[in-house]
Amino acid sequence: MIRALFTRDRRRIVYAFIAGIVLFAIGQAVRPGFASLDGIRSILTVASFVGLVAAGQTFVILIGGIDLSVPWVLNAGAILMVTSSLGSDARAIPALALTLGMGALVGACNGAGVALLGIPAVVMTLAMNGIMQGLTLGLSGGMTCTNCGAYAPPVVQAAVHLRLLGVPIVLWIWLLIIVAVSFVLGMTRFGRATYTVGNNARASHLAGVNVSAVTIILYALSGFFSAMAGIMLVGFGGQAALGMGDPYLFQSIAAVVIGGVYILGGRGHYLGSVAGAISLTVLVSVLLAFNMPDYGRSIIYGVVILALLLLYGREEDSA
Amino acid sequence: MPSGARRSRASHALVQNVGLVLVIGLLAACIIGYCALFVIAQHRFPGGFELTSTLDNTMPLAFAALAQTLVVLTRGIDLSVGGVIDLTNAVAAQTLMGGPVSTTLWTAAILLIGAACGLLNGVLVAVGRLQPILVTLATLSIFQGLAIRILPQPGGAMPPGFTNVLANPNWPISLLYIPLIGGLWAIFRRTRLGVAVYAIGNDTMAASSHGISVRRTVILAYMLGGVASACAGLFLAANATAGDATTGDTYTLTSIVAAVLGGVSLFGGRGSGLGALFGAFVTVMVVNILFFAHIDPLYQTFYEGLFLLAAVISANMIGRAVRRRR
Repeated sequence: MIRALFTRDRRRIVYAFIAGIVLFAIGQAVRPGFASLDGIRSILTVASFVGLVAAGQTFVILIGGIDLSVPWVLNAGAILMVTSSLGSDARAIPALALTLGMGALVGACNGAGVALLGIPAVVMTLAMNGIMQGLTLGLSGGMTCTNCGAYAPPVVQAAVHLRLLGVPIVLWIWLLIIVAVSFVLGMTRFGRATYTVGNNARASHLAGVNVSAVTIILYALSGFFSAMAGIMLVGFGGQAALGMGDPYLFQSIAAVVIGGVYILGGRGHYLGSVAGAISLTVLVSVLLAFNMPDYGRSIIYGVVILALLLLYGREEDSA
Repeated sequence: MPSGARRSRASHALVQNVGLVLVIGLLAACIIGYCALFVIAQHRFPGGFELTSTLDNTMPLAFAALAQTLVVLTRGIDLSVGGVIDLTNAVAAQTLMGGPVSTTLWTAAILLIGAACGLLNGVLVAVGRLQPILVTLATLSIFQGLAIRILPQPGGAMPPGFTNVLANPNWPISLLYIPLIGGLWAIFRRTRLGVAVYAIGNDTMAASSHGISVRRTVILAYMLGGVASACAGLFLAANATAGDATTGDTYTLTSIVAAVLGGVSLFGGRGSGLGALFGAFVTVMVVNILFFAHIDPLYQTFYEGLFLLAAVISANMIGRAVRRRR
């Protein structure tokens, strides 16, 4: 009974959450107050940015793809948000729609390249990252344009910083997204199609799944969530900056994988990626609490990811 | 095999190496385009200086692409290429300034460091049964950290003897290394290891049931890749005559670009180191062309991205057409 409840995929999610809790405990031991309400709030807020990007990354990894265009779709989204809204609440809604639409469109282009032109996902999204980087740098004149220094609209900043029932609004938004993504993946035809394409694209095609459409939509969702993370980040920091998306590529992939999503597709849940995003963010914070220099953080980060993978990320086929 | 049904050897070779033929064509087109733009801009043909600097600029990427190819052929991917380059580059900056003997010994030691990095990756992939992309993502972080620990600030110096051998500013010494790499690759392909690498890239199960040790082959492929990355780090240091623990980072992604342009299939088993070498030259030539075409440098990655897509799409179409004609 209990074994049936805790399938391998669910066990991995639980492990990832346990890792996060253990790290919180270590942080509290090293620096009392680490796991206070304020500490948890701020760590979860930072984790939510990784978690948003990881939502898109989960979608594409579930069909055995990968999205390397995250850094500059995110960065383009952040810059588009401030330059189109110019810090005014009145323009916030159209600016939001424009930015999210841009993300979805770029993602759909990725999906079209993968699904219709047969370009490997690594190559397609890598090229797209370059294209978006060039466009962002070129159109903003290397962030020298007059509107580039604009602030995010107050309403967007409030969404990150203000609290509702003691919880920052951005975390409510994340919770909403967790529920929505889990619902889409677990309860809808589209979600089922995603898993079947990830397990066997050819068989899904023969079974009547429109593989190309599913692929394009999933990549569009990834672009959408990258742009959304860009919006949240300018809300968090107030302004956009060049290179602000760079850390999110590897972090999002690591979060997805630590959460037990199988990198070759077909298995895993967004809840796992959420757990992975939280654990990784706590890990970084703990290392900061240890006053670990940059290089030490980098080394331990890699070692911990390897250790987690060796604990439960191994392939069973040749066991 | 019935010999009557077989096409001529030449046609067979062409179809087997369509990726290599395409990248040579691409490189030729790039060189012609570059020369044309150069003549328009400078009213003279590119000379020895341009040749030397282009070759020297390409060598690190050529080795990085070679490293990537060795791993990709086994159906893996190596995201830690940039980290190994960082690490070896940093060690080079801290150690090479000594007598000729010490410099030579340290150069060998740096190659061994590269091999050790590859060994770590290979063991984790083959024995630890982890996905290559995840292993190398984690080791990338470790190698980058070590590199910064060893060389916190860019700096150090290179002995003139060392730079003269690897990247002589007055003489295109790289013209010697390119045939050397090509020759070594031709030998490698014919060794047991080379055959095994291609075999497991094409069908791991079949290779294993034919008595190939998959573990051993994968580990050795990653180790050779690590040595190639270390070469990239050394050439980078020689070219810059100093060390920097972060300049290697970009090579992770550009090595994939160069390998793909060189006709190496990311699904394993197809492509050659020679193709990756030419792919590296194409990658560098495109940047040169953009420079002489007076493209705003801010837009550089935009055009590189478009070029990569165009190259991959047209290579797909040509490859399909050639195979259909057969």
